[in-house]
Amino acid sequence: MAVTQRAPTSAEFGLGAVTPRRVVTPASVEELAATLRECDAAGEAVVVVGGGTLQSLGHAPSRYDVALRTTALARILEYEYRDLTIAVEAGLTASALDETLAERGQFIPLDAPNAARSTVGGVLASGWLGPRRAKYGSPRDFVIGTTIVLADGVIAKAGGMVVKNSTGYDLSRFYCGSLGTLGVLVRANFKTLPSPEARRVALATLPERTRRRAMEHVAGLDVEPAAVLAIAGFADDIDGRDGLEGRIFLLFEGAVPSVDRATRQLRSALGAAGVPETTLFDAGAGKALARLIDAYVIRLGDRSVTYRSRGLPSDLFERTATIASLAQREALGLELIEDICTGDVIARVSTPVTGQLSERIGTFDPLLHASLPNVSVLTAPEALRGDLAMWGAPPSALEMMRAIKSRFDPNATLAPGRFVGKI
Amino acid sequence: MKTVVGSRVRERLVDALGADAVRTEPEDLAVYAFDAYCEDSLPSAAVLPQDARDVAAIVRIAHECDEPIVPRGAGTGLCGGASPTRGGIVISFARMNRILSLDAANRRARVQPGVINLELSKKGQPHGLFFGPDPSSQKISTLGGNTGTNAGGPHALSYGSMTNHVLAIEFVDATGEVRRVARDDPGYDLASLLIGSEGTLGVITAIDLRLMRIPPSIRVCVAAFGDVEAASAAVSAIIGAGIVPTALEIMDRTIVQAVEAHYHAGYPLDASAVLLVEIAGEADATVARERRIETIVREHGALSWRSASEPAERDALWAARKGAAGAIGRIAPNYYIQDATVPRTRLPQALHRVDEIARAHHLTVGNVFHAGDGNLHPLLMFDRRDLKQVGAVVAAGTEILRACIDLGGTISGEHGIGYEKRETLPLVFSTSDLATMGRVRGVFDPKGLFNPDKIFPSGAVCGEVRVPQAVSAGAWL
Repeated sequence: MAVTQRAPTSAEFGLGAVTPRRVVTPASVEELAATLRECDAAGEAVVVVGGGTLQSLGHAPSRYDVALRTTALARILEYEYRDLTIAVEAGLTASALDETLAERGQFIPLDAPNAARSTVGGVLASGWLGPRRAKYGSPRDFVIGTTIVLADGVIAKAGGMVVKNSTGYDLSRFYCGSLGTLGVLVRANFKTLPSPEARRVALATLPERTRRRAMEHVAGLDVEPAAVLAIAGFADDIDGRDGLEGRIFLLFEGAVPSVDRATRQLRSALGAAGVPETTLFDAGAGKALARLIDAYVIRLGDRSVTYRSRGLPSDLFERTATIASLAQREALGLELIEDICTGDVIARVSTPVTGQLSERIGTFDPLLHASLPNVSVLTAPEALRGDLAMWGAPPSALEMMRAIKSRFDPNATLAPGRFVGKI
Repeated sequence: MKTVVGSRVRERLVDALGADAVRTEPEDLAVYAFDAYCEDSLPSAAVLPQDARDVAAIVRIAHECDEPIVPRGAGTGLCGGASPTRGGIVISFARMNRILSLDAANRRARVQPGVINLELSKKGQPHGLFFGPDPSSQKISTLGGNTGTNAGGPHALSYGSMTNHVLAIEFVDATGEVRRVARDDPGYDLASLLIGSEGTLGVITAIDLRLMRIPPSIRVCVAAFGDVEAASAAVSAIIGAGIVPTALEIMDRTIVQAVEAHYHAGYPLDASAVLLVEIAGEADATVARERRIETIVREHGALSWRSASEPAERDALWAARKGAAGAIGRIAPNYYIQDATVPRTRLPQALHRVDEIARAHHLTVGNVFHAGDGNLHPLLMFDRRDLKQVGAVVAAGTEILRACIDLGGTISGEHGIGYEKRETLPLVFSTSDLATMGRVRGVFDPKGLFNPDKIFPSGAVCGEVRVPQAVSAGAWL
C-alpha cells in the first residue's frame, strides 16, 4: 500500500518558497501510476523525489502539491550477470546497485553523489555527469531500456534487455536529464562492465607554480587515467587536510601491470614538474573518489552556491580564470574542482558569514552567465533559488522542448516551471 | 496529377539550389529509387545540397508542396529506410561530404552527413585517433546514415554504437530552421531522439563526433570450432567470465569458405565455425587477456587458436570479415540479411532456432555476426527469380525475428526498422509504447513528411494503436 504523509516540512521537501501538501510513497508501479493519474485529473502538481540528493537542480516549481517518492520501488528485477545486464527499479540506491554488481565483479560508473541515498532513477533523471565519463561514458551510455509512467498514468517502455538496439526511438536515453518533467522513471535496464583489476588513486600537492607543467606532463601519459581533477579548497569535504595550495587527484583503473606502469610514469612526470610528493593508495580509492564527487553538491549552510561550467578541456583554464576574476571582484571565496578529462569546472563561491551571499551573488550570477556559456547551478540556498539563472541562457531549441513537454504532460502536472526556460 | 505537382516542385528546387543540384528525369532518378533492400519506388526529385542552408530550402519547399522528404547517405541500408516509398524528394548528401573540423586536443570532429565512415578514422590516424563505430559497410556508408540508424559494427562490443559517440547534431526541423543540439547541454536531449530515428524527425546537416585514442596494442586471434553453437557458447563464456574484448565475431563454414575464396586471409577452411577475437589496450594487459581467452575457448572445444599481432595479418582478417556479405555473391544469386539481437547467453539457442527455421523452409543459411553483442546476422540465400524461394525467405525472416523476441531479444541491433520491419515493431512494443514514440513524432513532424512509411506500422496496424488525444491521429503514419 502507498504510504501518504501529510503536512511534510519545508526543510525536507520544500523547493524555493513552495512546500507540498503531502508526500506519497507508492509501493508498486501500478500504485504510482494510479496516484499520478489522480493528481493529473485533479490538477495537482507533482514533483518526483528519489533520495532527494539532487533536488537542488533547477528552478523552484511554480506549483507543488504532491511529492511522489520512488524509494519503495527498490527491487533488483533481473540481474543477468553472464550477459552483463541488469534491470532495477528506479528507487534503488546507487550504492545498493553498486554492491549487487560488485558481488559479481561488475560495475556501472554512475559517479553519483551521496550514493547511499541517491536513487538510480534520480541519477538518470538529473542527467548527472561524473568525472569518469571521459573514459567510460555517462550514465546515459549504460542505459539500454526504461519503463516510464507518464502524467496520465500510462506505463510505457523503451529499449530492452539487449546491449545493441536500433528498434524504434531511443526514448530511454532521451529521458536522461529530463528531471522528472516528462514522466516518472520506474525501471531502468543497464549494461554493466567488468570491474577493473586494479584501482589506484594518486594525490599530490600542487603549488601554483608547478600546476601548468604538471598538467602538461599528465596529459602526455600513455596510460590514460580514469579521472584527473585539480582541486583548490574543499579541504573539509575531502580529507580535512589543507587544500589551499591546490592538489591533483588522479584515478587509474585497469589491469594491474598497466596501473603499475602508469604510476611509475606519473611519479617521474610529477617529479619533473617540481611536485614534491605523491601519495598513492589502492585500498579506499573508490571511497576517495566518492567523497570527492559528494563535494560537488555540498553546500556551506546558506553561504555558498556551486556552479558547473561545461566546455572543452582545452579552454578549461581560461574559464577558471574568468570565474576567479569575477569571484574576486565580488569578494566571493572560491573553491574549484577542475576536471581535466571532461572539461568540467565545479566552482563553489561563498561568503564568510551568512547574509552577505544574497547581494554579492546577485551581481556575480548574471556576470558569470554573460561571460561563459553553459553554466548551471548545482546547489544553492533555497532562498536564492528564485534569483539565480539556474540553467543559464535558454537553449535554442526551447520551443521544441516546450512542445514535447506539452505532448507528454499536457496539464503541466510534473514539476511545472522547474526545467530550462521554466518548462 | 503527380506530374503537375512534380513540375512545380522542380521549378522551386531549381530556383533555390540551381539546376545542377536537382534531378527529375526518370533515368537520373532510378538510382535513388532503392537502397540495399528490395523495395523500389521513384521519387519526384533528387537533390544534392551543398550545405545546411540548401537543406533548409528543400525542407521548406517540401512542406509547402506536401512532398515527402527522404534523406539518403550511401544507400547501403538493408531495411528500405532510404526507399522513397511515397515518392517525394530524395536528399542525397553526396556533396555534403566534408570533415569540417578535427580538434585533436579535445578529441572531437565535426562532419557533414555525407562523409564516409572510414574517412574519419583515416583523418584521425596522424593524430593517434580513430572513430569507434565501424559498420562492415564503413568503406562506403556515410556518417549521416550511420547516425540515422544508430549503426554499430564489430567494435560496438566495447566502443558502443553511434549514440555513444555523437556529441552534437545540427539538423533542419519541419519549419526549415537549422538547429544545433548538444548531448549534455541543459534541456531535453533532442540528439538522443534524432540518433536512430531514420530520417523521421528532421534532416541532419552536421554531426559532432567523439574520437578515441588508438590503443597501443591490438591483437587479433582466430579460433576454429566443430560447430557454430560451440563457438557461440565460448563467446557467452568469455563475456560471462567478465572479459569484454574489443570484438567477438563468428562466421560459420558457409561464410568462411566464401570469404576465403575471395580474400585468402587465412581462416581455417575445415572448421564449421570460426571465432574472431580482437583484444586491444596496453601491451602488458592484452597479452594476459589473450591467455585467459584462449583458455576459455579451448575449454569450450576450440580445435585451434591462432594469434595475429602483425598489422598486415590483422588487417587481412578484418577485411575478409567485413567483406563477408559481398563474398556471398559467389555462392548465391541473392541473399537476405536479417539483423536481430538476443541476450548474449541466449546465442546458442538463437542459432539453433535459425538453423531449424532455415531447414523447415529448405533454405541455405550463412551466419556471420557480432557474437559478443548477441547481434545475429543470418544470411538467407535464394534466387529472386524463383517466387517460391522469395516467399520462403520472407517467412523465415519473420520467424527468426519472432524467435529472437521469444528469447528476450529485439528485431534490430544496428540496421534499424526502415520499411522492412515496421509491421514487426508491434511484436516488440505495446500500443502505449508506440504511442509514446508517436508523441515525439507529432512534435518533430506534424505533417508526416519526414521519411513516411518508416519505423512505424502502416495504417492497418496503426489504426489499432491508441493515439493520445494530444496527438493528431495521422501525425505518425
